[in-house]
Amino acid sequence: MALARYILRRLAFVLPQLVGILMVSFFLVKLIPGDPAVLMLGPNATPDAIDGLRRALGLDQSLIRQFAVYIGHVFHGDLGTSWQSTRPVVSDLIERFPATLELVTLGLSLALLIGIPLGIAAARAGRGPLRKIGEAYGLLAGAIPDFWLALVLIYVFYSTLHVAPAPLGRLDIALVAPPFVTGSLILDSLLAGDLQALGSALAHLVLPVATLGFINAGPILKMTQSTVGRILASDFIRYAEMCGLPRRVVMRQAIRAALPSIVTIVSVLYGFLIGGAVLVEIVFSWGGAGQYAVQGVLNADINPVLGFVVFSAIFSLIVYLCVDLAYFLLDPRTRG
Amino acid sequence: MSGPSGTIVSAGGLSLPPRAGRRSRWRSRGSLFLLVLHGRPSFALGYVIVTAVMTCAILAPWIAPYDPVTANPDVYLSPPGFSHWLGTDNTGMDILSRILFAPRTDLTIAVLGTALSAMVGIPLGAIVGYYEGRSLARRTFSVLVMRAADVLQAFPVFVFAIALVAVFGQSIISVVVAIAFVNIPIYLRLMRSQVLSIRGMRYVDAAFVAGSSDFAILRRHILPNAIAAALAQLSVNIGWSVLLTAGLSFVGAGVVAPTPEWGSMIATGYQNVTTGQWWPSVFPGVALGLTVFGFALIGNSIEVMADPAQLRLVGRAGKGG
Repeated sequence: MALARYILRRLAFVLPQLVGILMVSFFLVKLIPGDPAVLMLGPNATPDAIDGLRRALGLDQSLIRQFAVYIGHVFHGDLGTSWQSTRPVVSDLIERFPATLELVTLGLSLALLIGIPLGIAAARAGRGPLRKIGEAYGLLAGAIPDFWLALVLIYVFYSTLHVAPAPLGRLDIALVAPPFVTGSLILDSLLAGDLQALGSALAHLVLPVATLGFINAGPILKMTQSTVGRILASDFIRYAEMCGLPRRVVMRQAIRAALPSIVTIVSVLYGFLIGGAVLVEIVFSWGGAGQYAVQGVLNADINPVLGFVVFSAIFSLIVYLCVDLAYFLLDPRTRG
Repeated sequence: MSGPSGTIVSAGGLSLPPRAGRRSRWRSRGSLFLLVLHGRPSFALGYVIVTAVMTCAILAPWIAPYDPVTANPDVYLSPPGFSHWLGTDNTGMDILSRILFAPRTDLTIAVLGTALSAMVGIPLGAIVGYYEGRSLARRTFSVLVMRAADVLQAFPVFVFAIALVAVFGQSIISVVVAIAFVNIPIYLRLMRSQVLSIRGMRYVDAAFVAGSSDFAILRRHILPNAIAAALAQLSVNIGWSVLLTAGLSFVGAGVVAPTPEWGSMIATGYQNVTTGQWWPSVFPGVALGLTVFGFALIGNSIEVMADPAQLRLVGRAGKGG
């Protein structure tokens, strides 16, 4: 019951926020110079044709009316058409979003695998060398541009060692993609039983996932280290130690207590990476949703940008709901 | 360089003798700065890096061996060697010279963008924090501002920044504005939470009872005590803004090609990396990473100097304890 109320309260906050996001992005993108009607028809279009298209697209209406129409469409699941691909934005995004999601999820998982153990070790080490390593890693990972790291990895593993596939998308060009079910190539090729495609998809994922994992382990490490360190110095851990509990049990308690803040940083990173992984996507020609949106902005193609914003906002919404559920399970105080 | 550190320390509430003269206060700030550097030598590295980068930016016309925007097609993509220490890119421009000139663009953008966001975010955050829970109109104002910040922060940062650059047209000023925009919520939140905690202090009540206006209370009593955290954020934020600038230029929404800039240099070399010419991309990235690293270290050192508890730890370490 308390859980339902908790979630409802969250939703009440999120819906106006979603409309706000849509509003800002709509007016922002509307301000971008460039008339889509002119761009769609090319330089040889007659003024009549341009006028007709403007009317057909609703571009002759007032901005507020256009926005109202847009909001109505969004709630019916219609995000408009991209004039670049001349396809509905929804189907474009449904195709591309899983690619981004797959990349980001795996990258973040790797970051967790690096960041949490290192962070715990650094927090335990007190003032030893491990702590220094942890600090140095955090600073370094925060300072290195991800797109540069991606290029370095490509140079080392593709150009020099020839062990990684070419950074040209998610699958070998010679291979046929497995039928589209979930959009994740790993899951789809497993479902189709296509081991060759699975192998190729995994091989293509290694470098971008390594890039994202290495960079994003930094904030996770910092958060883990500071939280676990603070908890290890707290009264209840001292009490547990004084009672003579084995070190392992005490550590388990400390990590358990640190979980909520780790979940928080992971959720923030997750939401950030949906749009933030775009540089890595571009380097690997990933064809994900972020890349799609960036191309939209650069070519005055408004609908893909708005569609991407809607998709990532909904995604963040789902992530935050899951986080709230996780808090509810992890932190007894929220159940009060 | 003891200037900024000094102000923060006094604002952080470190116990200084109340009637210390101006000179002795400065001396104690200077010695504090040295103490921190002594306890954590890695911080000194940060100051060295940032000083070096700034020196490069200032002295670039005299120390750069070539003109940064003159292409020499005869020597395109020549590897690092004697005539071109760090090689040349695919148009034959000298990479070392371009790297030396780049901080002029990158640091200018990052510093201006960060300064702009702090100048908007800090006062706004202070006002919002001070007004929260007051009369209905003021409360509405602060709620509105915070919700606006929520909306801004819910955006995918990078796409938002690119869209801003697209709106304002591609120029350095647009990049500055975009960076300022995405950074404002950080200062807004920081200041708001600081002011909220300070607002309930007795000396604020005392000032109010003594008849000070809201503005005077904010400016004379709250701001000096609340600003430390935001100032510590500045340095880290400059580094982060350099990264963002480079990212924008990398996708082609920032500084345009012939202008020396680390991100666009990496982008220029991007095609060559796959064919094995690593130098056009790798060297600018190293310079960029080092710069951000330096600013992050300075940010950490300011944080330590502003926090008396951490300062004690460092002091102990500095005495070999």
